[in-house]
Amino acid sequence: SRRKRARARHKPCELRELEVSVSELGLGYESDETVLFRYCSGTCEAAVRSYDLSLKSMRSRRRIRREKVRARPCCRPLAYDDDVSFLDAYNRYYTVNELSAKECGCV
Amino acid sequence: LASIFSGMDPAASSKSNHCLDAAKACNLNDNCKRLRSGYISTCSRELAGSEPCSRRKCHKALRQFFDRVPGEFTFRLLFCSCKDRACAERRRQTIVPSCSYEDKEKPNCLDLRGTCRADHLCRSRLADFHTNCQATFQSLTSCPGDNYQACLGSYAGLIGFDMTPNYVDASTTSITISPWCSCKGSGNMEEECEKFLRDFTENPCLRNAIQAFGNGSDVNVAPKN
Repeated sequence: SRRKRARARHKPCELRELEVSVSELGLGYESDETVLFRYCSGTCEAAVRSYDLSLKSMRSRRRIRREKVRARPCCRPLAYDDDVSFLDAYNRYYTVNELSAKECGCV
Repeated sequence: LASIFSGMDPAASSKSNHCLDAAKACNLNDNCKRLRSGYISTCSRELAGSEPCSRRKCHKALRQFFDRVPGEFTFRLLFCSCKDRACAERRRQTIVPSCSYEDKEKPNCLDLRGTCRADHLCRSRLADFHTNCQATFQSLTSCPGDNYQACLGSYAGLIGFDMTPNYVDASTTSITISPWCSCKGSGNMEEECEKFLRDFTENPCLRNAIQAFGNGSDVNVAPKN
């Protein structure tokens, strides 16, 4: 339902997880191994700082122009998970670091 | 015993690759994933110069993996059953054999045993293996006390020492296990060497234990009528 979707959209920033195959990661590795992919998702409305409000104000008063600024906090990983290793379809081992989020925050 | 097989139904997933399933189970457990990545990255790290890797560090990381991760994960990786070559090759690759197992030369098995016995931990692990995997005609399974679990545990306990055993090839029909050694150059000790090597290569207790684990039949050792 619409209300359900709206509520899902307004979930605060948090860690979520998905079971995905290594091939699905799109990093160019061919492997059927399954890994746990943890990512950050959610809104950061509650984390708006005076900084964001002021930046927005400066932008609307055209004190800041032609610059890429972000006047809203963003839900991103604060820390990344340990390395993940796997065997690919050609029997070679690979190790990938910083694949998964470990902790999320509004930054 | 039952705990090792919970969540593993060989009948329901006969088409799938059990070794791939074992890797998935490990990857979804934080502790298993971390220690598996630990030994894989150490054992597959190429060094500058002539050495392909640091065998000493690789062995240490392997010992940590088998010491600190429960058998429900490690045994599944080591002893998964296979119907095709890709699966059997994955099983053979479990311990990263290019670094932990293979060497430029194959030492004499009795010399290798001597090296192992000089290390007190390797010595005791080898003694455990001989005790728990000693083929016997007095039991149905060929294992002492029909205890498959003890034999598999002793096998895993040797990994990361000088006597590291592994599957010799990716055959799906016959399982052959051996340490990296041969009985060439044994002189008048040839018979003793062959006897020692056969405890790995032609051991019905070890073979039955691995096969029973793979097809999930080691819970009940009674024959089917």
